[in-house]
Amino acid sequence: MTVSPKHRAIWRRCLALLMLIPAIALASPTVPLGKKLKIGVTLHPYYSFVANIVGDRAEVVALIPAQANPHNYQPQPDDITRAMTLDALVVNGIGHDEWASQIVKAAGRGTTLPIIQANASVALIPIGGDQGGAKVVNPHTFVSTTAAIQQVFEIARRLGELDPGNAATYRHNALAYAARIRALRAGFMTRFAALDLSAFRCATTHAGYDYMMQEFGLFVRAVIEPRHGVAPTARQLANTVDAIKKANVRVLFAEKNFSLDLAKPIEAATGVKVFALSHITGDTYSADEFEVAMRENLETLAEAIEFTQR
Amino acid sequence: MARLSRTWPCADPNGANKVVRPASGRWESLALLLAALAIIASVTGYVLLRPKHPGPPIPLGWQVRSFDGLGAVDQAIHSALLPAGEEIIWNNNDTGGWITLERAQEIWLPPFYRDAFWKTNGQVHWQLILPGGHLPHAGSDDGHEDDAPAPATSEVSQATQGQGATVYYGAAGRAPGQSAYLLVIGHAHAGVMWANQATIWVHPDPNAPYPGIVKPESLVGKGWRQVIPYDGASEVERVKGNQP
Repeated sequence: MTVSPKHRAIWRRCLALLMLIPAIALASPTVPLGKKLKIGVTLHPYYSFVANIVGDRAEVVALIPAQANPHNYQPQPDDITRAMTLDALVVNGIGHDEWASQIVKAAGRGTTLPIIQANASVALIPIGGDQGGAKVVNPHTFVSTTAAIQQVFEIARRLGELDPGNAATYRHNALAYAARIRALRAGFMTRFAALDLSAFRCATTHAGYDYMMQEFGLFVRAVIEPRHGVAPTARQLANTVDAIKKANVRVLFAEKNFSLDLAKPIEAATGVKVFALSHITGDTYSADEFEVAMRENLETLAEAIEFTQR
Repeated sequence: MARLSRTWPCADPNGANKVVRPASGRWESLALLLAALAIIASVTGYVLLRPKHPGPPIPLGWQVRSFDGLGAVDQAIHSALLPAGEEIIWNNNDTGGWITLERAQEIWLPPFYRDAFWKTNGQVHWQLILPGGHLPHAGSDDGHEDDAPAPATSEVSQATQGQGATVYYGAAGRAPGQSAYLLVIGHAHAGVMWANQATIWVHPDPNAPYPGIVKPESLVGKGWRQVIPYDGASEVERVKGNQP
C-alpha cells in the first residue's frame, strides 16, 4: 500500500500533536502571556495584602461577602460560582476560613485550584494566658505587622511561581508594601519609646492579639474565651476574673464590631478598663483596609499603655 | 428466628399444659453472647490500637522548636528574624549586597532596629559578618554601646573566610533567660536565583562568643541549636493528620 506525500504530512502532524498532549498535561499551572490572574481571598487582610502585591497586574476577588463573619460562615451558591473562575486562592489555612475548602470542593476545583497558604512560613505562637497548660496555636497572624509582612512575602513568592512574568513586580511591590507597614509600626514605636512597657498587663476577650502584642514586647495575661469563639462557663469566667486580679491586669481588650457582653461583667468585677481592638473585618474590601485597621489598633494600644502609666 | 417445635393440640389426654422448647436447642443465647463479646473485643481493640491524635513533630537533639521550645523573648526575636531573613535574601538577589545594620536602622527592620521592641527584648547587640572578609564591613555593627564583651569583627570575619555564609550575630541581650542568636544565610554564587537559605540558631548563653565556623556540625559542637519554626504549613499538615 502506498501513502501519498499529502497523507504522510497529515499523519506526521497528528503524531506530533499526540506527543504534545502529555507535555501540555504535565505543564505547571502558569499563566498564559497577557492573561491577568484572578486571585481569590478569604479574609479582609488578604484582600489588602494581595491588592498591594499585584497592583494592576492581577484581579483580586473576595470569595465571600465583605460583611460576612468568617467565624461562623456558611457557604452560599454565589461563593461557589466565584470559586469556579479563580486562578488561585489565598487562605489563612490555620483558622477562620475552613469553609473555603467546602466552597472549592463544591465548585469542582478541589484538585485544580492552587491554594496559597499565607501562613506557610510564619512562625506560629501559642495563645496567651492560661490555656489549661496546653499550648494552642493562635491563628490570628494577620492582626500584626511582622507576621503580616511574612505573609505578604509568602504570597508574593507563590504568586511569582504561578505568574513568572510578573514575579519581579510582585516582589518589588511586596517589599514596598512591607516598608509601609514597618513605617506605620515605627511611628508608634517612637510613641512607645518613652513609656514603661514592663508594667503593662492586659487580658483579651478573644485570643486575637498575641502576634501584635509580641511585636511590641507585650504579653497577654489572660484570655476570656476558653476556645476560639466559645463563651466561657460561669466557673471559667470566675477563674479568669481571679487570674486578672492576681496578675494586676488593668486593661481588657474586647472586639470592635462584636458584642461587649463578655467584657462588661469582667469590667464590673475587676475594675479593668475596656478598650476595643479590630479583628480587621469591615463592611468593604479595600487595598488600604489593613493599614487603616492596624493604625486604629496601634492607636488603641498606645492609649491603653498610656492609661496604665497614670 | 427460632422455630418452634410442632406439637399437636391436646396431645396430653389429661389436658395439662406442655412446655414447648425451641427447635434450635437454645443456641440463640450462646450466639447472642458471642456476638456481644465480639463487639466488646472490637471496640476495645479499636480504642487501644486507634491512631493517636498526631502531635507536633519532635525536634532532633540539636534543634529546638520555636512554638514551645523558646521563651517569649527568644520567640519574639525569632519571629522578627524570619521575615528579616527573607527581605535580606531578596535584597541580595536584586542588588548583590547585604542589608547592613546601618541600613536596617533606616528601613526600621526588626529585630535590628533599635525601637521599643528592641528595648523590651533585651537590647541585643547585633553584628553583621560578611563571607570571607578580613575587615569589618561598613555598618557591620549596630553601634549599640554597652558593657557586654563583643567579639572583634576582624576575628570573626577571618573565621568565616571561604565559608560563603553571611551571618547576623546577636549577643549580650539583657532580658532574663534570653539566648544569643545567629541568622546564617548560606549564599549561593554564580547568579543562582532563590538559592540563598536562612537558618536561625540560638545559644543558651546570651554572651556566647561568635562561633567562628558556622557550619551546622561545628555550631552543634559549640552548643548552638537550630530553631525549627512551627509554621502554618506544619499546622495544616497536623490538622490533616499527616504529621509524624
